[in-house]
Amino acid sequence: MTSFTIGVLALQGAFFEHLEFLKSIVQSPEYSAHTFQFVQVKTGEQLATCDSLVIPGGESTSISLIAERTFLLEPLLAFVRDPCKSVWGTCAGLIFLAQHLKNGKKEQKVLGGLNIEVTRNAFGRQLDSFEQVLDFSSFVPGLTDFPAVFIRAPVVSRIGVVDLAEEGLISSSNPILDEPVEVLHKLHRNGHELVVAVRQGNHLGTSFHPELSSDLRFHKWFLDEFVLKSAS
Amino acid sequence: MSEFKIKAGLAQMLKGGVIMDVVTPEQAVIAEKAGACAVMALEKIPADMRKSGQVCRMSDPKMIKSIMEAVSIPVMAKVRIGHRVEAQILEALEVDYIDESEVLTPADKQFHIPKHDYKIPFVCGAKDLGEALRRIHEGAAMIRTKGEAGTGDVSEAVKHITIIRAQIKEAIETLKTEEQIEAKAKELRVPAALLKEVIELGKLPVVNFAAGGVATPADAALLMQLGCDGVFVGSGIFKSSDPAKLAKAIVNATTHYQDPKAILEYSTDLGELMAGVSISSIKDNERLSSRGW
Repeated sequence: MTSFTIGVLALQGAFFEHLEFLKSIVQSPEYSAHTFQFVQVKTGEQLATCDSLVIPGGESTSISLIAERTFLLEPLLAFVRDPCKSVWGTCAGLIFLAQHLKNGKKEQKVLGGLNIEVTRNAFGRQLDSFEQVLDFSSFVPGLTDFPAVFIRAPVVSRIGVVDLAEEGLISSSNPILDEPVEVLHKLHRNGHELVVAVRQGNHLGTSFHPELSSDLRFHKWFLDEFVLKSAS
Repeated sequence: MSEFKIKAGLAQMLKGGVIMDVVTPEQAVIAEKAGACAVMALEKIPADMRKSGQVCRMSDPKMIKSIMEAVSIPVMAKVRIGHRVEAQILEALEVDYIDESEVLTPADKQFHIPKHDYKIPFVCGAKDLGEALRRIHEGAAMIRTKGEAGTGDVSEAVKHITIIRAQIKEAIETLKTEEQIEAKAKELRVPAALLKEVIELGKLPVVNFAAGGVATPADAALLMQLGCDGVFVGSGIFKSSDPAKLAKAIVNATTHYQDPKAILEYSTDLGELMAGVSISSIKDNERLSSRGW
């Protein structure tokens, strides 16, 4: 029997939904060989118990500022550097997990868990938020029809090396990770091709909110492919 | 339904956060730097509206726009109850959320805005379960339990969240048959399906923030402990002697609302707080929370 502790960063935003989804998935008999603990992470002590962390949607500035003020930033940076830990960021979580942030606020920090540049509010304001059914079967077997919800969503605007001297660019104090960045999905919208899901080793980033879709399949894939695999 | 999911979804992202009233771009920047998850752009904060005794309307779009340009977090703005044209104007301006607010002078004494007609989501005030469900049925994608705005007295906000929670609990415990649910729904003037959803979920089907009279980190933490998803802070912050410090402290306390040692730290040395007006000194017919039907 293996035991896993999955944390959801609970500083601000939609953390409750991620916990409910994951708790519900592990009820299935296929996980009966394992035990799972779920933790709302607000402190370094809580983070230290986790094998895996989900960084939820919310406001990326709020999450970063609160983390820094309440002494959670350093533990989060260390968590992301640890090759045995898996991490998934959705929307604001994707922003926080990036190596570089294009249009952030200068007080904002990023964790450097994905060697990408993210652009905030890439689609515009709330009026430009949308839902679109996407085919993720190229990386999640059989998932051809996932209802992806984009709310004031960011996109991955560059992958890999960027010019660090660029004005306004916010970069992580963490070193760049070795593994290659895999583009998992490009969204076609209004004549543009936008990267909305990426993976680098044990780290996953998505622009959209699977936790708002009442569809557990994406979370199940994260559990199987990241949480369970990175421990073995 | 997909559109409502998008509207209610933004409110989900605001949870655990603090939405601050601001009257200038400079205040909006202070709020954003403090970690506010959104700002409410308005010309006068409720404490000043209350003093003015004048008709209070939607703010000048120029002022709202200057705030939208100053910050990257969501910007909300208020319209008068029932004033669908003010709402159309704010939709054209592309604010992120519209607050159909009793703090402004109501434009329609009978009907609220038909909120399903808009693409921009609405937040509405409520002081009991019936009022909350009527607003949700009209299309509100977020509820804020009413306090008494502009007073610095948190007691009305506490009262109304407590009433809503108690009424939901009572509905769960007492409404066992379809007939009972239908009778109660009729009494509340809402569809039975909506009441049924509340009974199944054990809470409102949309995000529920508290508002009105929040002046300290402890007030914010109290409302979180009572089961609110987040808080609106109006006059409290910018009527204090050190708004930036107080704003940060309220944000911190909203996150760490279950940790008394942390709240102790956030509550210490905040300078002079909003003096406020106690609720008992305000006549019933002057209370803003009684507006809305």
